[in-house]
Amino acid sequence: MLTPLHARQWDLQKAAHLLNRAGFGGTPDEIKAFCDMGFDKAVRSVLEGPDDSVQFPKPAWAQPQNLLEMRQQNATLPPDQKKQMQQQLQRQYRQEDIDLVNWWMQRMRYTTNPFREKMTLFWHGHFATSVEKVRESYLMWLQNETLREHAYGNFGLMVKAISRDPAMLIWLDTRQSQINHPNENFAREVMELFTLGIGNYTENDVQQAARAFTGYRMNPQDETFRYAPLQHDEGQKTFLGRTGAFTGDDVMDIILEQPACAAFIARKLWTFYAYDQPDPDLVRALAAEFRGTAYEIRPLMNTIFRSEEFYSPDAVRTQIKSPVQWVVQTSKILGTGLPGPQVTLNALRQLGQVPFAPPNVKGWDGGRSWITTSTLLYRYNMANFAVGTGPLQVDRIRRVANTDNKGPGQNSFQVQNFQVPDLNVVIPGQVRGDPHRLIAYLCFRLYQDPLTAHDTATFVKYVTDHGPNPDETTLRQLLHLMMSTPQYQLT
Amino acid sequence: MSEHDDDHVIEPHTSTLHTRREFLRTSMLGAAVSFTLPVFLQKTFFTLDAMAADSAIQTATGKDSSILVVLQLAGGNDGMNTVIPYADDAYYKARPVIGIPKNTVIPLNDYVGLNPKLVGLKGLYDQGHLSIVQGVGYPNPNRSHFRSTEIWQTASDADVSLPDGWLGRYFDSCCKGADPTVGVAIGNQVPQSFAAEEPTGVSFSRPEQYRWVDGDNSGASQNVYREMNEPEMDPAMLDANDGGSVDSIPGAAAVSRHESTLEFLQRTALDAQMSSDKILSIAKKYPASVSYPRTALGDSLSLVGRMIAGGLATRVYYVSQGGYDTHTNETPTHTRLMGELNDALVAFAQDMTAQGNFGRVMVMSFSEFGRRVTQNASNGTDHGAAAPMFVMGGGVKAGLLGKYPSLDALNAGDLAYNVDFRSVYATVLDKWLRAPSKEVLGRQFPLMGLV
Repeated sequence: MLTPLHARQWDLQKAAHLLNRAGFGGTPDEIKAFCDMGFDKAVRSVLEGPDDSVQFPKPAWAQPQNLLEMRQQNATLPPDQKKQMQQQLQRQYRQEDIDLVNWWMQRMRYTTNPFREKMTLFWHGHFATSVEKVRESYLMWLQNETLREHAYGNFGLMVKAISRDPAMLIWLDTRQSQINHPNENFAREVMELFTLGIGNYTENDVQQAARAFTGYRMNPQDETFRYAPLQHDEGQKTFLGRTGAFTGDDVMDIILEQPACAAFIARKLWTFYAYDQPDPDLVRALAAEFRGTAYEIRPLMNTIFRSEEFYSPDAVRTQIKSPVQWVVQTSKILGTGLPGPQVTLNALRQLGQVPFAPPNVKGWDGGRSWITTSTLLYRYNMANFAVGTGPLQVDRIRRVANTDNKGPGQNSFQVQNFQVPDLNVVIPGQVRGDPHRLIAYLCFRLYQDPLTAHDTATFVKYVTDHGPNPDETTLRQLLHLMMSTPQYQLT
Repeated sequence: MSEHDDDHVIEPHTSTLHTRREFLRTSMLGAAVSFTLPVFLQKTFFTLDAMAADSAIQTATGKDSSILVVLQLAGGNDGMNTVIPYADDAYYKARPVIGIPKNTVIPLNDYVGLNPKLVGLKGLYDQGHLSIVQGVGYPNPNRSHFRSTEIWQTASDADVSLPDGWLGRYFDSCCKGADPTVGVAIGNQVPQSFAAEEPTGVSFSRPEQYRWVDGDNSGASQNVYREMNEPEMDPAMLDANDGGSVDSIPGAAAVSRHESTLEFLQRTALDAQMSSDKILSIAKKYPASVSYPRTALGDSLSLVGRMIAGGLATRVYYVSQGGYDTHTNETPTHTRLMGELNDALVAFAQDMTAQGNFGRVMVMSFSEFGRRVTQNASNGTDHGAAAPMFVMGGGVKAGLLGKYPSLDALNAGDLAYNVDFRSVYATVLDKWLRAPSKEVLGRQFPLMGLV
């Protein structure tokens, strides 16, 4: 069972923790204001954020294409022109992909409903689909919108929507499934990765489910989902112990009836938001609630965010920031915009998490796998760039998916940061006089947590050695140093 | 516990442990080391010594020990268009469009030959430096990139999932306490094959960027950076960590799985710091001695060559070449990849020869699977099974090993394997790295005449 946190226990550190995990963190002022709301109101403000979609209009290119017309046109072209057309389309997609990553990163950075974007990021990792195979940027954008729409709605509705999602139809080959040769790709992954987890179904269940998901097609005129009854296997299927002429939705309903499904999703949510390897009793309690509400996500998140366990030492500052979290949160707490699209994309690639290009259908492994010696040093050097103490060497990136097949460094160039943080905002004048106060203030801004006495002394000495009233260079370098630490990677 | 430490730290007794200890002793601990060692470091010291004392096999990371370079051909290389059964009509029947024309194949014998782009590899083969293992795979092949890659990386049976990689288990078994650069992956990710009980290994792709860039070039900043990225000696931390974990010392290997996230970050930061100085200084001192092709693989192997020249204490390097998932219009893509592979490997062989290191370096290529025998409707090939592996080096016994899978006895449309890939691994472990393959791979696989 989860123990509700008592409102009296609500404090600055818990407020910071909730902002970090439910969204992308906040500045000291934002954390204080959030804390002052009181526990109940603060949680509600997270869960009931506004719909700010109008502030993030969809990219101009995010429109369906008439594939049928394109194909017909293409057929009349001579081979060399056909090839040219294809190459042009490819170039266009690549540019759009870069645009798309930037569009979402900006939205995560500036949204007034960070909880929704963070949940959308969670579901993107869960229903991991890559532009590498889907290719068309519009379809990736469309899937992102679908995930956002259901982000904290009903999980049952979301999986059904995903089974019809055009990007998913391509990604897991559902649209190519033939009545006589049902493709098992989607049927397998929907159980293994999206709902039940391995061990909760048999190979026969996969084959039977594949039959039920036949007839899922994409309308070539407007790239919408189309159900083709003639391609659907209407025969009897025996699936997870039940027999009937099941459709894809029937299969989804049967899956949702399995206790394993609620437990699988509840565990994954807890792991993403709180900590690894939760106690089985805790998962059981969350799963029971999830099933009890017929898979409503928001009430489950409410329970999580109000639990004592969520604020326990097992949870607070025990996770490693994902690359997306690192980039967005750094920009927020330094009060700057995101770096330009090429710099941001470079950072995400070097750090190992490019949205819309997860490594595979399992999504990002996350946790400690974010950190290797090279990604850690890149984080430190990215910090150098972010605070404005140095330039950054970046590669010219031509496509989001995969790496460009050119050797490293061949198309790399150095960029200067033109939007360095305003130190008057990041380090208010009143904390600068006393090195101890300065370090304590920056600890809160950067880590939302104090350092050990030893580490504090190290930084205090650094400041003291630079004489009274540290100048701008010293302060920027101090920021860089405090971000070039294991502590800054934690959340 | 501290008095034991004192002895251990001051008297390093094997050369394997030298680097890490030396570093800790001189740059972190100063003269008076004994009383404030953080617990997890103490554990490390105990572990190192216990392992060094017990280990039947001593790691040699010195100048003369053998080096393995693992080359991953990611995406599933079409083995049949790499090593081609050109005398078999069934090959051309299955691949009317993408089959490599008989008159362009470079014959190895009267049945198989190499892709025309692999002309340099043929030269190495003739000189006695290249071994080609035919028909490599494993029982119950899996056609998923992820799962099959995982099987190759962990050397597991197809129906078993193992947490650690085969190279990680080698590090665990033979390189305990070695410098973190014992395993080097070129790139930003560490391959799953490095995953270990006691994680080690570093990754980088650009030495000049593989360092902490100092914003103001002041010694003061460097000092603070170093201090913050070494495990700290604060007595408060000792208390916080509590002595309970001391119990786990003899178990040694279990320690790292239980380190906290902060400890994990601190260890990686220390590894990054220790390795970056060395890597950067080697990179500065040792430019490539021969010219490499300007491709991703060429750059990677050039970097490996420079690190070997500089004497980095590495036993295993890991490089990869991507793009082999040729479902559509295969010929232009695959031809380009074969050319890049050939040119990079030839340059690497020249480099090693020029350095006088060819005799102690072995390159082993692998791909998660080969491709289907029959071309598909888009003039490409889908995921298949068995495929050849290349093993190259001055100490390699050249030749054509294994048996080319019969095109008349396909397994569900795929080539059936004749050699379990773990036989190749076992040979590399036993004969090349001088490691107990049975311990690393869990059972004894038949050895091959590769070395």
